[in-house]
Formats: sequence, structure tokens, C-alpha cells
Amino acid sequence: MVEKADGARRNDIAVHGLAKQFRKGPRAVDGIDLYVAPGEIYGFLGPNGAGKSTTVHMLTTLLPPSAGTARVGGHDVAREGPRVRTIIGAALQEAALDPFLSGRNHLRLQGALHRLSRSERKRRGDELLERVGLTHAADRRVQTYSGGMKRRLDLALALVHHPAILFLDEPTTGLDPQSRNALWVEVARLAREEGVTIFLTTQYLEEADVLADRVGIIDRGRIVAEGTPAELKAEIGRPTLQVIPADPEERGRIADVLDRFGEPVAGAPGSLAIRLNRDADLTDVVRALDTEGVRVEHLELDAPSLDDVFLAKTGHRLEGQEAPEPVAG
Amino acid sequence: MIAVALAVAWRLVYKAFTLPSFLLPALLFPMIFFLGFAGALGRVAEVPGFRYGPGYEAFQFAFVLLQSAAMAGVFTGFNIAHDFERGFARRLLIAAPRRSGIVAGYVLATMARWAVNITIVFVVAMLVGMSIHGGPVDMFGLLVLGFTLNVVGALWAAGVAMRLRSAQAGPVMQLPIFLLIFLAPVFVPLDLLQGWIHAVATVNPFTHLLAAARSLLAGGTSDVALAFAIVVPLALVFAVWALTGLRRAEAAGG
Repeated sequence: MVEKADGARRNDIAVHGLAKQFRKGPRAVDGIDLYVAPGEIYGFLGPNGAGKSTTVHMLTTLLPPSAGTARVGGHDVAREGPRVRTIIGAALQEAALDPFLSGRNHLRLQGALHRLSRSERKRRGDELLERVGLTHAADRRVQTYSGGMKRRLDLALALVHHPAILFLDEPTTGLDPQSRNALWVEVARLAREEGVTIFLTTQYLEEADVLADRVGIIDRGRIVAEGTPAELKAEIGRPTLQVIPADPEERGRIADVLDRFGEPVAGAPGSLAIRLNRDADLTDVVRALDTEGVRVEHLELDAPSLDDVFLAKTGHRLEGQEAPEPVAG
Repeated sequence: MIAVALAVAWRLVYKAFTLPSFLLPALLFPMIFFLGFAGALGRVAEVPGFRYGPGYEAFQFAFVLLQSAAMAGVFTGFNIAHDFERGFARRLLIAAPRRSGIVAGYVLATMARWAVNITIVFVVAMLVGMSIHGGPVDMFGLLVLGFTLNVVGALWAAGVAMRLRSAQAGPVMQLPIFLLIFLAPVFVPLDLLQGWIHAVATVNPFTHLLAAARSLLAGGTSDVALAFAIVVPLALVFAVWALTGLRRAEAAGG
């Protein structure tokens, strides 16, 4: 772990005006500021092409920034790359594994790159294989692993040298629910029990909601919102009400009633949806519909989600969508 | 840097000796060249004007030694290009505190693989009756010349592979080495070549390396100093070429 002069761990991430302009390409990251405190899980949320991976590549010293500064564990990523690399672990979007090496050999290689002694490499390798549930497949070539097994091995590789800061770039993309939950448990344990600072990019709202202490929302290279999931939702504040008419011919009358209690928003197919005004209450809406004499088949009140936050901040929804004007990263 | 170099080299050497498909091409080419050329063209030694004491097997072995040393570097270049194309290089770039160790590791692996390959070819050459007139010092000189050319080939190929970072690097790495090798007096001495090939071979630096290797096998010193005067500066130039290739790859994010 990185030690400050007073003995405290120095495993924060401080970013100021960080930007990446690709030659003949887009400005993938456009002057972002963020701070991740020691031991915090920071969720970096955004659609494909928003600039998440480019940011991770800069923070892990894979890409030089075009402008701005970033200090990882107190070290400048542009000027102190070797020091940064000794304290970070990274599992990038595509698990970079050698299909002809076994899981155990990957761990041996990674340990050697980080100058672990032969005995430490073996001990740590066995420990991590056990932790990610790959002991049974340790001596099989990686080309025989499933996608989930590769992801778990990738996470184990990132942890070989006890990194103080861990970067996970969309770690659960393509995983089945069981593998995804197991990875969430391990990531949370690393932060809570070992004090590892975790910078996690994701395009899954649920992942950010469940795991992250704080969330930064990035869109088109800019951070458009930042805070705890609860704070961000509270900013939006108002729940959404969805109504499916029992008789489609009564849609118009129901819409007229709903208009009195909030602004229309996109809802599920066949439904009418409004974001409730601050002074509106569900019981008032039900009474009004009853008074009007219209029948409803389904009525649902949804608390604000991060997707609502994303919609409010960017004007478009996150889930299942690409960035409107994709940029590299 | 040493730890990184050893780790990178370990991976390639481990694969070479556990996966026949990684080792065999680099072994088969020199073996086929030696057995094919030395066997089928053996009567070239009877051509008037062919004066080489140790015989045609040693004449061809000198070529095979240098050819395999140079081409082993190109095989490593393929490994490097593949690592970049498949994203494995990013793992190395993120994990390695000193990234120049990555280049050193690829070069070390090249040397280790060539050492094994040329040892096998040497044993086969002795079994088919190759005669050596040089002493231990000459043989040591021959090995140093071979290893230096091996490093030159690896650094050249690393520089190309890290600039292009894809399989497209293959022809770019291979072609110049291939041309240099085969536009030299491979099958007969330089004096017996005629026309444009003689003119080209005369100015081809590989001709001097070949002459030095043949001279060392014959126990002589002809062209040896010139050969080292060619390969040592080349190794330095291509070390810079490979490291600037690494910087290009870093700037591109792997």
C-alpha cells in the first residue's frame, strides 16, 4: 500500500481538467474533474463511447492525457507512470489473456512482472485462484475458459500484488447474473475489508446503484452529474406514475386527468406516464381517476432511478443506448 | 526492469517449449535449409573456383546459422504484433513499472529460442559429417556473431511490430531481412557469382557477415572485424528503433 509521511494510506485519485483529444479523432474526454477518496468505490457511469474507458486508460497510464492532471495514489500519471503502475491493479474491458497459458501461469507471470518472490507468487496465486473459484481450472489453458471464468481470472490478476487502487472497466459486461453477483460481492469486500480504492466503469445502472459509494455520470466526454446514488436521485426527487388503461378508448380521458398531476414522460408501450409534481400524491391521482369514472388495468409508482437522473442530466436514456454521437473510449 | 524482462521472456520460452507449433517453424526452416542445400547442392563444392576447406556442409551451415539468427527475431516480431493485436500487450504495459523491460524480455526470449534451435541444427550438421577447421575461440566468435545478429533481428522486428501493432507488420519485418539474406552469396562463393547479383552481393552487408562466419568455421579471420563493425552498430541503432517503437505504442495506448 502507498504510505504518506504520516503513515496513512495514500490511495486516492485526484483529477483536474483531464482531457484526451485523439489525433484526427474526437475529444473523447473533455476536461473532467473528479476525486475518489481512499477506500471508496466510485462508479463511472455512461453509455458506450461516452469516454469511460479512455478515462481509465489515462488513469492507468496506458494513454497519455492531452491536457489536465491526474494523480493516482499521489503520483502524476503523466510524469510518474512507473510509480503509478506499482500501486494499481486493472481489469480492462476485454480480458487480455493468453489463450495458451493456464490460469496459474497467468498468475505466475503477473506476480513476476510485479517482482513477487517465487514463494510469494505461488502462495498468492493459490490464494487468488481459491478466492475467485478457479482452483479446479487452474492448470487448464485459458482458451477452455468461459467468459465468466476469464473475467474472474482477470480480476485475480489485477489483485496479485495487493494494489491500493483498483480499476475495473465494465467488469460484468457479458456475465451471467450469478457471476455478476459474485463479482459484486468480491468488489465490495475489497473496498470494505481491505480498504482498496475502486474506480469502476459501468453502463449498468443497477451495478452503480448497488456497488458505488459515489457515482459520476459521463456523457460525451463530460461529467454531467456526481454524488451518491441517493443524492443524485434526490436531485430528481419526483417519482414516476405509469397507468395502463383498462379500455384503450379511455386513454384521452386518463391523459387529461394525469396532466393535472405532473408532466408527461416516456413510459412502457401502451401506458401513460407522468413525473409527479412535487405537491402531487398518489392518492389524489387515484381519487381523480375514480371521480372521472375511468378504469385502469395497471397503476405503478416508480421511485426515481439513476436512469431518470441520466435522462434529466443528458436528455436521453442510458440503458440499451449508445451515446448519440459516439466518441472514442 | 530485469524482473519485467525475465517475466516477459519466461512466457515466450515456456510457450515455445510446451507448444510445438511455436517452436517447430523456427526450427524447421533452418533444418530444411541446411539439409536441403547442403545435401542437394553438395556437388557445388566440385565447381572449379570453389575453394573452401571445411567443405560444402560447413559452407551452408554458416548461412543457416546467420539466416536462423536473423529470422528468429522476425518470429519474435510476430509474437509482439500478436500481443498488441490481442490486447495482451496492455497487460504488460500496465503491469510493468519499467516498460523498456518488455523489449528486453522479447529479445531475451529470441536469444533463448535461437540458442536451442541452432544447437539442434549444429548437432544434425555434425551427424551428417560437417567438418570444422576453426578452434574454440573461432567457434565462440561465431556464436557471438550469431547472437548479435539475433538481437539485431529481434530489435528490428520489435520496432516494426510496436509501430504497426497488427499482423500487417509481418511482411514489413520479413521482406528486408529476406532480401538481404538471399541477395548474398548463399550457394556459391562471391567470386563465382556473375552479373547483377554479384554487384548487389558485393555491397550487401550480409555478404560480409556470411564471409566472416565461413571464415571462423574455417579457422580464419577474414571479414570478422568488418562483420562485427556492421552488427554491433546495427544493434545499437535498432535498440533505439525498438524503444522509440515502444514509445509509439505507449502513445497509442497499446
